[in-house]
Amino acid sequence: MSNTVQTSKDIKVNVNHITRVEGHGNIVVDITDGKVLNCQWQVPEAPRFFEAMIRGRHFDDIQSIVSRICGICSISHSLVAIKAVEDAMDIEVTPQADMLRLLLHYSEQLQSHVLHVGYLVAPDLFNAPSVVPLVAAAPDAVKTIIGAHRIANQWSQLLGGRVTHPITIVPGGFSAIPTEKQLRELQDTLKATVEPLVAIVEVVLSVAGGLPAFERDTEYVSLQQNDPAYTFYHGDIVSTDGHTMPVSKWESVANEYVVEQSTAKWAKWNRDSYAVGSLARFNNNAEHLSPLAKKVAGMFSLEKGCCNPFMNSVAQLVEAAHVVEDAIAIIDTLLTNGLKEEKLSVKPKAGKGSAAIEAPRGILFHSYEFDKNGDCVWGNLCIPTNQNHANIQLDFEKLVPEFMHLGEDGLRKTMEMLVRAYDPCISCSTHMLNVEFVK
Amino acid sequence: MQKPVVVLGLGNPLMGDEGVGMRIVEILQSEAQSYPNAEFIDAGTGGLSVLHMISGRQKAIVIDCALMGDEPGAVRTFGPDDVKTTKKLAHQSLHEADIIKIIEMAKQLGEGPEEVLFIGIQPESITERIGLSDTLENKTNEYADAVRKALK
Repeated sequence: MSNTVQTSKDIKVNVNHITRVEGHGNIVVDITDGKVLNCQWQVPEAPRFFEAMIRGRHFDDIQSIVSRICGICSISHSLVAIKAVEDAMDIEVTPQADMLRLLLHYSEQLQSHVLHVGYLVAPDLFNAPSVVPLVAAAPDAVKTIIGAHRIANQWSQLLGGRVTHPITIVPGGFSAIPTEKQLRELQDTLKATVEPLVAIVEVVLSVAGGLPAFERDTEYVSLQQNDPAYTFYHGDIVSTDGHTMPVSKWESVANEYVVEQSTAKWAKWNRDSYAVGSLARFNNNAEHLSPLAKKVAGMFSLEKGCCNPFMNSVAQLVEAAHVVEDAIAIIDTLLTNGLKEEKLSVKPKAGKGSAAIEAPRGILFHSYEFDKNGDCVWGNLCIPTNQNHANIQLDFEKLVPEFMHLGEDGLRKTMEMLVRAYDPCISCSTHMLNVEFVK
Repeated sequence: MQKPVVVLGLGNPLMGDEGVGMRIVEILQSEAQSYPNAEFIDAGTGGLSVLHMISGRQKAIVIDCALMGDEPGAVRTFGPDDVKTTKKLAHQSLHEADIIKIIEMAKQLGEGPEEVLFIGIQPESITERIGLSDTLENKTNEYADAVRKALK
């Protein structure tokens, strides 16, 4: 539902999506006599029930439960949960398992990024209401995007045992790994994916003039590792303000707090808000991107220090190129070393552990505590979208006065585009059908 | 080789009756040998990934929790043309998905299966809980039968 009323100096925007179960963000703006009286990003979100759901569960069941929190980020939730379990129980994984997990993680980045750019961002840039009409308007572009998404799906299935909600990753390593032949085939497929990926980049570049020119000085937070790399998986928490925090102290980064306008918790570290996601990773680690990824960034003139949140979608394309190129290199290393079947020997012990991972939409934290039998007694997790809410609000507060000259429709669209640029995860737990019979 | 028929269970087992599609797929997977032409997939809440699971198939059977205005526990078998979706999407997030729209898109892309059947099950309670409500749990065989019939 979207209501707008306009007089010359009055703008009211109320983009209010309320359905029975799914949560959506609401955008509320009240401009009267040319003055902004109200401007809010409101997020009604279901309570984080899964923290209660995992209590009493055995350590090796945690992953399969948390992977269901979200179908789009299920690999990220699975991987970070396993890492936190391993941290709690001092379980080491081999370099081979570590590389295979990163490879699996990359598949989700590609899946999510191409889909986000194709499904949510491209319709805005092509002035289409959604991706469905875009199929008729730009069928080749959509087919290329769907093709890249399909390859990413097959990639996830090979490493994770299925496309979403992976089943092969377990504390200590993998319950099943691909064969060398399968990895070689995947590598061939990824090499063949570079060309369509560049085609997608060129399509987005052709309409990138539609990305609003908006900047707000922002603290960007992501992982960063000592052994230089564009990391999605290892390292400490850093910010573009020069701060560093070990992952074990992530709660001192998120500093989650409750606000009146939202049932989702908000976060802040060194300023009133911070941002996570592709642009945050880019701003902290861009010099370690692969050659093709750097080339893509150059095509859009995306440089370190960019504080235009709309460029997050461009940073996603940059990362899509990076994960494909880096995956090709990782497979080379795995094949050179030779794949080995690794025996798992994991014994539960009491302890508390934490882990962080870069989900496609930003840094994701999980912590768990287990008793001596390996049963979970406590859990806490913090999703990237919650870390971005305060930043979206502050972006709105700067954006509304700067873009109110566009009138209600233009302002509303710009604000909706801003929310989409953050690639939020706010309605991920249920996907039921809702139908009326016409026959 | 891809099997010509796919049976997809959609939903989230952490959300009570929302997980009914996967529960039924779990039951049918145990008798998969009786259906050599069919692949059974617990598709969870993977959104557009469903597009690839149905692509190039002759027939897709989708089992999902469905708000149809019926009594809790009711089951209906219907095709995409029998219904119109009343689901409102905010287009804010990749995480919202409407399977009816996904099927429409597959058709537009020329990748849709020749035949699509939905097995819709009206939920009693969608809430943060692992496992179905008693109303639905007691009828899982009836739901599995609806799929068996659709597989014939």
